[in-house]
Amino acid sequence: MEDARECLGEGVLKHLNVLEVEALALSGRQQLCLQQQSRVDDLRIMVEKLRAHRDMLKARAKTNMSLQHLKAVADQRNVDCNEDDINAGGSSRTAQSQLSFLVARRTQVKDLLQAHHFIGGYDVTETGRGKGVYISIATAFEGLYLETYNLELDLGHVVQICRHNIPPFIPLEKLAQVHLQTDLMDFLSALSDHLNAFAGRRQQVCLIQEVLLGSVEVMESNVLFNTIVLMCKDAGENGRAILCTLEYSDLSRYLPTKVTIESEDQDLPSTPWWKESQSLLLCTPAHKAFQALKMKGLIA
Amino acid sequence: MDDSAKQVLRKIIRRIPSNKLQNILSKWEHLSKKQFRSLEFTQAKWLLCDNLLSLCEENDLSMKHVTELEMIYRIENPAQGSWNVCQLIDPSEEAVTVDSLTFKDSFKAHLKHLISHVSVKMKKHEDNAIWIRIAWGDNFTQPNHLNPTYVVHHLQTPYVFVSGLTAKHKPFLHQALIPSTHYGGLKDVHLSGRCLTALRDLLMRQYKQAFPVKHPRLLQEKSPVPSHPNIETEHAKHTEKRLQMAAEAFGEGILPKLETAVYKLETRFRENGMPGRREEPFRGVVKFSSSNLLESLKNCVSSGMASAPVTPLLSSITQKGRNYFVITDKGPGVSHTQGRKI
Amino acid sequence: MSLKPFNKLPELNTANVLLVENEERFQKKLADAIVLLENNVNVIVRLARSLPLPLENAESRPRIDLVVFIVHLNSEQSLLSAETSLKHLDSGYFLGKVCFLVTGARCGTLPYERLTSLKKMAATLNSPLLMTEDKTAEGVNTAAQRVLAVLRVAAGLVPMATGLYLSSLTRCTVPNDPDWQNQD
Repeated sequence: MEDARECLGEGVLKHLNVLEVEALALSGRQQLCLQQQSRVDDLRIMVEKLRAHRDMLKARAKTNMSLQHLKAVADQRNVDCNEDDINAGGSSRTAQSQLSFLVARRTQVKDLLQAHHFIGGYDVTETGRGKGVYISIATAFEGLYLETYNLELDLGHVVQICRHNIPPFIPLEKLAQVHLQTDLMDFLSALSDHLNAFAGRRQQVCLIQEVLLGSVEVMESNVLFNTIVLMCKDAGENGRAILCTLEYSDLSRYLPTKVTIESEDQDLPSTPWWKESQSLLLCTPAHKAFQALKMKGLIA
Repeated sequence: MDDSAKQVLRKIIRRIPSNKLQNILSKWEHLSKKQFRSLEFTQAKWLLCDNLLSLCEENDLSMKHVTELEMIYRIENPAQGSWNVCQLIDPSEEAVTVDSLTFKDSFKAHLKHLISHVSVKMKKHEDNAIWIRIAWGDNFTQPNHLNPTYVVHHLQTPYVFVSGLTAKHKPFLHQALIPSTHYGGLKDVHLSGRCLTALRDLLMRQYKQAFPVKHPRLLQEKSPVPSHPNIETEHAKHTEKRLQMAAEAFGEGILPKLETAVYKLETRFRENGMPGRREEPFRGVVKFSSSNLLESLKNCVSSGMASAPVTPLLSSITQKGRNYFVITDKGPGVSHTQGRKI
Repeated sequence: MSLKPFNKLPELNTANVLLVENEERFQKKLADAIVLLENNVNVIVRLARSLPLPLENAESRPRIDLVVFIVHLNSEQSLLSAETSLKHLDSGYFLGKVCFLVTGARCGTLPYERLTSLKKMAATLNSPLLMTEDKTAEGVNTAAQRVLAVLRVAAGLVPMATGLYLSSLTRCTVPNDPDWQNQD
């Protein structure tokens, strides 16, 4: 009351102003509280939703499991059925037909996927103006997906590459000159071969550095990974150093075309062991070949 | 150690900032550990330099070692001076199999064959880049180590990055590079900038480009959640589209750092769509400069200041990997030079 | 399709304001300030770059009670965009449901004609023109208070006052310019 009187002395409007500011602050705090409360509620609802989703997924996984189990049983029974009487109980028959329908669906989808892969398996997106397409080419090595490269093609009267993120050491221009105007699929498959081979070679070097740490050392490589010099040690007592040069003159393959083995000991490369390993290196990825050599005890 | 080596060493030490000096010298493997420890890096630079010189005298180091120090510094700090990019064209079959050793020998031999007084030093950097330092002299003078040319080349790629090259020495470098890399020719790609890594990323396409995908990321990931439930944006979708367009034209994430883009215009005055009477062409130059040009251009597009879709003039900086363009008239009889398609 | 003031039913105790700004610089800050300031009424702020508004939101868009055009005097584009946007507004809005917000008028290096033409525009449209400061938090807050005051009236939340009545009091006055006098 005292405050009020003091304020009134200064003027009614001033007092009202003070009151308003206070009210504003108070309601601001209130609103903040409310907001927090509503956020908590929202989160709670979200949790419930996610839980329901999880249950659904769980249930689906369960039915899938049981389906597989059933399928195994059915396969078993099919074998038996051929010998036994074909007429079985009505209820089991409907279950069986349903099951076989599902199995048929599954194989169909699988076939579709496979077909998609056969015809190229590129992810193609039409651009907004409809004049071009984006194509992405995935690279993989030994079942592991590596980088994805993208291309934007302009499909005018001449097919042109507008934009891409393919590294410059891949002979894109040369490939484009040969194939692009005549056959897009040929071009893409050639490009994909090059990219996959490049990714594969790089991955091999990475794997050697990772798995064979300490026994095989990468002495030299280049951006294209088409000449790789590796050094390892002979397993013998004196541990002679062996230099192994892998040359990949076919850039669309991830296996070397030429393997040279050099050592301080002139006779070592011509021993039957090393002859054999040389041919092994020509037909297996380098990291696997060296692992095998290590297992055999040829290298330390 | 002769006077010129001393002079060069002093100049190098002067150029290296004090805080980097210790690191650089530790990588220079011509001082023993004891000698290195005896150097005091808190001292004034000229004092340190004198101490260093006496140590060099002790170890009997020569110009060769001094240039090595400069090279170490330059490789660590490539963003000095302006870099120009050239592109090797018409590769022969052997181009993909050149290895660094044969390249080094061949380049040196070719250059020494062309010009007698030249000092070449090469070093292979960790990322497989070959750094070449060339100090030029002419027939009567010793190589000038104060203004060397630096060349960076990644084998198997067609790009060569050059810094500090004078027009006089250009043909020599080209003539040495072409046979040693097994290419047929060398042309300027009209790209220059201070930041070497940016130029490399741009040309080798190592920066992150945005491509439309079939399964776009959730909206939530891209645009920030509105701060208050009572605020709604009418043009959210348009904004989204604009951002996507900007990313498609200039890339995502951290963009390569370019400083300038120059557009030269050569055209004729026109009267009612017809070429004017005046014979001499109208020349104009538009120069964009910024500390990070691509970032600024991208921001212009994503904030809606520049209208989307992005004009090909701007987007070809990233797409074609160049920042110098000449725009000429294309119509017949208007221009003498073939109009460059942009 | 132009935006109409009365083709949708109003909601109880709700006021909708549309902030139109080509640059999208100031509107976010202003919107935040507005929603934080008002708590008796449910204020919904919609942000737009320009008019016309996208058709896909037409269904979900509530009745807009006030359209605020934000014009930055340091950019010509800002003024031009506001001018073109005005064409997509139903004439019903000009009876007290439009106001202009100007920033950067304090800067001395700006062309004076820009402000004059804006003033003329506001005066011919019988709309208020508010000068604001967008750089400081205090300035944004003041702007929000002013917009809210106009909005409350325009949304019919203040008894005994209508937007038309308010705008007849607060509308931009005719610049004291001989040119203008002649036109009048």
